[in-house]
Parts: sequence; structure tokens; C-alpha cells
Amino acid sequence: MNTSKYFFQTLIVVIVSGFSFLIFKTILPKKLFTEDKLDSKNVVVDSLLLEALAEDGGTVVEDSMRGTVIDYVAVNGIEFPKETFETYTGNQYLVGFFEKLFQLETKKQGNVRIAYFGDSMTDGDLIVKDFRTYFQEKFGGQGVGFVNITSESAASRSSLTHEFSGNWKTQSYLKVKHPSNPFGVNGHVFYANDTASVAWVKYKANTTRFASELPRPTLFYGSSSNKEGKVFYISGTDTIVKKLNPNKLVNTLTLSEGNLKSIRVNFKNADSIPIYGFNFDDGKGVHVDNFSNRGNSGLPIGSFDVATMRAFHSKLDYDLIVLQYGANVLNYGSLHYGWYEKRMEKVVAHLRACFPGVSILIISVADKSTKYDMEMKTDSAVVPLNRAQKRYAIKSESSFVNLYTLMGGDGSMIKWVEQEPVRANKDYTHFNHRGAKEAANLIFTQLNKGYETYKELRKKRKKAVVPVKKDTVLTPKDTVYEK
Amino acid sequence: MKALFSIQNWFLEHVGNIDIETIQKWFLYDPKHPLLFNSALFLGLFLFFYVIYILSRKTHYFRITYVVAFSIFFYYKSSGVYFWLLIFSSMVDYVLSRLIYEEPKQWYRKFYMILSLLINLGMLAYFKYTNFFIDNYNNFFSGNLKFEDIVLPVGISFYTFQILSYTVDVYRGDLKPTKNFIDFLFFVSFFPQLVAGPIVRASDFIPQIYEKLKLTKEEFNRALFLIIGGLLKKAVISDYISSNFVDRVFDAPNSYTAFENLMASYGYAIQIYCDFSGYSDIAIGLALLMGFWLPDNFRTPYQSASITEFWRRWHISLSSWLRDYLYISMGGNRKGKLRTYFNLFMTMLLGGLWHGASWKFVVWGILHGLALVFEKFFGQFIKLPKNAFVRTIQVVLTFHFVVFCWLFFRAKDFTTAFQMAHNISQLTFDFNQWMTIILGYKHVFLLIAIGVVWHFIPMKTLAVMQNTFSKLPLVAKAILLGLIYWVVYATASADTQPFIYFQF
Repeated sequence: MNTSKYFFQTLIVVIVSGFSFLIFKTILPKKLFTEDKLDSKNVVVDSLLLEALAEDGGTVVEDSMRGTVIDYVAVNGIEFPKETFETYTGNQYLVGFFEKLFQLETKKQGNVRIAYFGDSMTDGDLIVKDFRTYFQEKFGGQGVGFVNITSESAASRSSLTHEFSGNWKTQSYLKVKHPSNPFGVNGHVFYANDTASVAWVKYKANTTRFASELPRPTLFYGSSSNKEGKVFYISGTDTIVKKLNPNKLVNTLTLSEGNLKSIRVNFKNADSIPIYGFNFDDGKGVHVDNFSNRGNSGLPIGSFDVATMRAFHSKLDYDLIVLQYGANVLNYGSLHYGWYEKRMEKVVAHLRACFPGVSILIISVADKSTKYDMEMKTDSAVVPLNRAQKRYAIKSESSFVNLYTLMGGDGSMIKWVEQEPVRANKDYTHFNHRGAKEAANLIFTQLNKGYETYKELRKKRKKAVVPVKKDTVLTPKDTVYEK
Repeated sequence: MKALFSIQNWFLEHVGNIDIETIQKWFLYDPKHPLLFNSALFLGLFLFFYVIYILSRKTHYFRITYVVAFSIFFYYKSSGVYFWLLIFSSMVDYVLSRLIYEEPKQWYRKFYMILSLLINLGMLAYFKYTNFFIDNYNNFFSGNLKFEDIVLPVGISFYTFQILSYTVDVYRGDLKPTKNFIDFLFFVSFFPQLVAGPIVRASDFIPQIYEKLKLTKEEFNRALFLIIGGLLKKAVISDYISSNFVDRVFDAPNSYTAFENLMASYGYAIQIYCDFSGYSDIAIGLALLMGFWLPDNFRTPYQSASITEFWRRWHISLSSWLRDYLYISMGGNRKGKLRTYFNLFMTMLLGGLWHGASWKFVVWGILHGLALVFEKFFGQFIKLPKNAFVRTIQVVLTFHFVVFCWLFFRAKDFTTAFQMAHNISQLTFDFNQWMTIILGYKHVFLLIAIGVVWHFIPMKTLAVMQNTFSKLPLVAKAILLGLIYWVVYATASADTQPFIYFQF
């Protein structure tokens, strides 16, 4: 038998297979497994985002701000240097926040509170945990701040162990447009409506720096006609019962004046009382609340009830609100983000109405990669969205952190995923713990740099100014905000 | 003329513009793009390689040297300058084996053997385990040693074992050394199995070097069949499910539901099997097409009814190597029961460490080692009835034990592995939830299902399939292969699955 024959047949197979591949490539589709949009009530999608898209997702807005120079008006004698659109940070709009930090640092007076709103990027306290640590390291403060009653990401939260019974009824501003009671500052409202079994929640401090204990656990709840509600918790060997008095729009109940290692609270006869969550802070230094929600675009914040938020504000006294969104706005095929820009501008205006005098910081979308022609590249929507975010930051007089450029700009996510040490996950979107810490550091460093400049400017300012009080500097009537 | 133009255009569009820079890229080392069997570049290079190969099939030295040159080039494409290491190791063992073979005095022979072990294992230890040792030293003795900047040469674990099998066989008197160095280098560097196995035994391979080159009809058909299957397993199933599902869950298990955690661990079991066995199959197929027979490496391991059986079906070339050169060298089962158990356990522990320089691989090896000891111990007392029902239960249990062990193998650290195990333990039956998740990842789950079904196709059915394939006309086979390339290509260009967060 001629055994050489099959060597030549192999050669033919290699050649013909190569050519038939080229032909198949021409006539058959380019991609397998094309993804169609999921339609399931269980997939976390922001319903307001979908509505906004349906309404004017196609609006094309020209990038009118390219090259614009942003000139600031002095506030209390502080005027940051001019900036261009390209390098915009908007530190000028943080003057109120910086002054509070300054008082805290120099006179050890007062305290600073930051509300950090975000999406899955800050899920499980990623980024925010480190952001909080950086602040508490420099300015003092203990505790993780405000924590929800239930959370889809409780398991991944490392800064605190958070468990709860399965019978809580939850309304989230992502899904519900008209909640039975207003949402809390965390965008949620919870009910212990189960009469058959007790609804409970448990928090336990971990070994996290500045959060190895739970300082002054305080329950936040809303108003209700049900005056029978009680909470039970164990302190030492005693079971303590406290009555809920849901008389005001927002009520608080401090369960312990001191620090606890862990606390489990049972709710009894509390049905229909809106429960918001627990706050853990020691009243000194800086506290950062993480209000993260998977799938959030930022738009749901527009549905906050002003009166309720002001009630929260009078108790928690926010100085800075951080908005870190965008990852959920990338995947809709359009590269025009005029609609998002416009709506987020309104969201910021709404926040200013809810929290008078607060400074606002917008953190841009991070780099995200998508496969183009078998190669991962920065998603084509990242830069347009990033610019839209910057535009609404400028228009709404908010400061801005360009996380995309800070992490390395074009193609940086690929490096974060593929280079050792790995800093982001294989979905080329989310950071891991290491990456989140680095992102927090980048954000903190920019803020801190702004703060250092502020101190310089403060030293140099000409006329002596009465020590700044937040109310006088940054009320909506202030010149900065009236333009 | 016009026709020529349109062909040229078509070529430009579908093959791409070929300029000097592109051609340079084909031949230069690029750490980001190792030369994989499932790449278009390999196909092109193989085509040119093969033309000269078959034309020179009747020569010996020319052909051998030619293949060695191509293999070294292949290794250079994956590892850069480390191809010198490959040549150096081969040289050392070629010389030592000669000395062992020619030396009558046992004492000297032993000395040469130990020298070979020290050099080979020393290099493996240096390149693969230095930083592991430093890390452990720092942890245990609160030391402050800096990590060394060492690049792990591709395939060093594979070719070190392959070289050792040669030297040990010569030492044991089971093998005559090759006639000259280039023949030996041919055995070590043979590119189909160079970077990812199968680990070929010198005694299986070297005699083939001196035989007349032949390729029978059966071998030809089997080779194509293996390559097609291998491509589908490696470049379609494994690659797709890993990047679109499994990797993500293992990255952040707590962000996913219990069911997703469970499916990701099943998915990983399918992924690693398809990846590894697929690549082995392509290697075996390519070698066959060059007229060389390589041993089977996988025989549907998840059909095993015990861990003992699993290791006869999983990465066979490694497990048999460990048995012949490690387990038996330690005394095997010749030194009493207790020693047998210890030897088994140590073999698996070291086998675990061979897979990677980390304690998690050691734990993976220990778990398998304990299972083997457990089975051997209780096997003496308990005789289970042999029927389909009992076997099914055994297969299911074995599979789940293997999947559990894979958690340690795949997770980036112990914390992640335990998180996954914990999350899976929280699983509750919820049909609607499961269906929603399955629909959310329908392509991934479809491929996992195909992987599972494929695994359980009876031998008879496979034989029928291969038989049908053999009967196809030559061109049809080639077109089918071309179609498979397209499937590979279209999978590689598929959109990445957008991330989904479920809430229930």
C-alpha cells in the first residue's frame, strides 16, 4: 500500500480547508452567539433609564464645550484658577466642602459627611470603603456610615458583615416609581410586614480600619399611623425593647450610645412603618455613606422626595454628594448622550433642592472594554459618555473626577484586567478589591490636591472673612448657584 | 485582468494587507500572542512546513533537522529566548544518558543520574518555584526577601518530565539512548506536544524516529477527526464559557447567586476538560499527520466511578508518568500497606504542586491523594454491587468531588474558593430563578450542555461518527474542516456577554 498517499491528501485538506474557511467567512455571519437584550423582571435594570431612552435616546447634541475655558467667580475670597474643558476638575465648587475639612483639620471642630451614590462599581462597598478609609486616616472618624436593611450585595461587603431575614419587603427607586412611603436617602424603603415571623437585621463589625466597631447604632425610619411597632435587641445579657415613634417624616432611634461589636435587631408589629436603615458613626471626623445600587444609571435620584430628604439632611448634615454612574448607560448602542446629560443636570438640580448647600462631585464612567474584531478595546461609548458627564458637571456647577483618564485612558481597562497584579475582573468593567483601592486612591488624591490648593488660596486671600458657615456660603441663593 | 483584480481585492478584504511589518510579526516572538494551534497563523505556517516535510519524508537527517528547526522556532514564538534553555537541558541529558549507558560501574551511573535530576529539577525549581519559596520564607519567618523577576518558560514542566523519563529509562536499562544529539532534540522539542503535552515517553517515541515514515488511511481519518473535535472543544466551548461566565463568577463569587456559583463550578469542570483535552487532541492529530503516534491523554474522565478511575482517564500521560517515575521510585506498593498509602498521598501532593507554584495546587493534590488512599483502604473491605444504579451514583459522587477540588485549582486564592463553596451551600431549589438565569446566559449554558452531552456520548456512537466521517470524500472533509475554522473564528469574534446582575 502506498502510505505516502495520505501525506499528500493531508496537504490537500490543509489547502482546501483554508480556502473554504475564507469563503465561509465571506458568506456566513461574522459572529456567533449574538446577544439579544434580556427581558426579565429579575434582571437589575434601571426602569427610569429605559424610559428616558425610549423618550429621547436618539437626540443628538453637539459637543459644544470642546475647548471652552471655565472661569470662576470668587466665593469668600477664594477663586481657583481658570480651567479648560479638557482638564476640568471644578474644585471651585467644592469650596464649602473644603472649608469644612479645613475646620476639621485645624480646629478639630465639626464633622464632615459624604453621601456616595453609585452603581455596581461601588457594590459591596468597593471603592467607597477605601475612599472612606483615606478620609478617616487624614481627618479622623469611625464607622461605616449609613447601611441599608437589606442589600443584594450584602454578601460581598467586606467592611461589615450584614445579614437579614428573608421576609423584608423592599421598594427600590430603581424599580418603583411611586413608593407607598417616600424613599430614604439610600433610595430604598423597607417594611417588616410579615406577621407570621419576625423580620430581623444583623450587623457585625469586621476588622476593617476605622470600622472595627459599630459606633452609636441608630435606626432611621419614617412616619406611619402604626404606633405599635417595637424593636428588640440584645445588649449584654438583657433583651431590650424599644418602641418606635413614627411621628415625623424621618425618625431616629439610637440603640446604643457606645460602640458595639455586633447587633441584631428584631422588628415586631412594625408592619407599614417605613424602615430606612442604620447609621454607624462616632460623630467626629469624616463619614461616608455608600448608597450603591447595581444597575443604577443615576436617574432614579430624581424621584427623591424633597421634604423627606431635607429631614434626612437635618439629621445627617451632608457636605458632599458624590455621583459615580455610567457603567449601566454604556450598553445601549447609541453614542449620543445628550438625553443623559440633560436628565442628569436635572437630577443634580433636584439634589441641590433636597440637600441645600451641599457640594456635588461627579465621577466619570471608568474605562470599559468591548470586543471589536476579536480584540478587546475601549468601548466606543466610553469617551462620548465621559464627555457628556463632564458637560453636565460643568453646567450644574459640580466638580468632576475623570476616572477614565486617571486610570490610564484609552485601553487602560485591558491593562487592569490582563496585567499582574490584576486590578479588574474579566467582564472588563468592574474592579476587584485591588483595583477599587487604586481607584479610590486616584479619586482621593485629586480631591486632596484640590484641598491643598484651597488651603494655599485661603492663606493668600486678601480680606479677612468671617469663618465660613455652610449656610451663609452655599445656600442656593449664593452667587455661585444663582447663575 | 479584472478577475485578477477582484481576487486581489477579495484577498485584501479577507486575509488582510500583507506588508513587511506583518510578515515580521509572523516570525517574531510576541509574549501577548503565543503561537496556538487554533490560530490562522499556525495554519499558514503549518502548510508551508508540511510541504517540505512530506517532500523530504524519505530522508532522515534532513527531515529530523528540519523538524527540530521548526520546533525551536515554534518554541521561540511562545517563549522567546528561552529556547536556549530547551537546547541546553537537552544537551545536558543527552550527554549524561550516554555516560550512564556506557558506564559499567553502578556508583558512577547513580552519580550521573542524580546529577541529571539535580540539574533538571533545579531548573524547574528555579523558574517555577523561586518566588513561591520566597513568599513562604517571608510568611513563615517574617522575612523580607524581594521577589525575583523570573519569567516561567512555556512548557518547562512538560519537557522537564519528558527529558527525565528518557534519562531514567536509560538508567533503568529499559531504553537505548538515541544515536545522536539531533535525534534526541527531535524527541524533546517535537512541536505538537512541546508546550502542553501529552508528555511522551522516550520508549514510546524514540523508536518511531528510526522507522519509515508512514500515514495510513485510518490514521489520516483519525487525525482529522481529533483535530476537528479538539478545535471545537478548545476554541469554541472552553474559550467561550470561560470568558463569558466562569471567569466572572470566580472573580467575584459573592456578586452572583448560589445557582450561578454552582453552574460556574460545573462550567469550570467542562472548561478545563475541553481546554486541555481539546489541545491534546489537536497535538495528537497533528503528530499523526506527521507520521508519529502519541499516547492518549484523556478518556472521558467525568465518566469515572471513582477517583482511582478518574486518574486513569484524566491527563493520562502525567498520571502514568507520576506512577512510573515518582510513585514507583518511592517504593510504590512494595513496602507494605502504610508506605503504599503514604506514597500515593505524596505522589498526588507533588503532582498537585507540579500544576503550579501555589498552596492551592498542593491542597488540590492533597484532596485527590486522600481520596485515593480512602478508596484503596476501604476497597479492601467493602465490595459494592456492580450494577448500573450503583455505578451512576458513584459517577455522580466522583464528579462532584472532582468539581469541589477544582474550586481550589481555579479560584485565585483560598478565600475565593471557600466563598464559592459557601455560596453553593446556600443553594435552594427555585425553578423560576434557575430558568431566568439559564435564559440570561443561554449561549453559555448551551455550550456547557454540549460539553456534558459530548462527554457522555457512548463509544459506539463515536465510532459510528468517525466511520461516517471517514467515508466522506476528501474535499468534503476539507470543507468540513474549513467550516469548523469558521465556527472557531465566529466564536472568537462573538460579542462578549454583557454583565447581568440578577435580583430575586
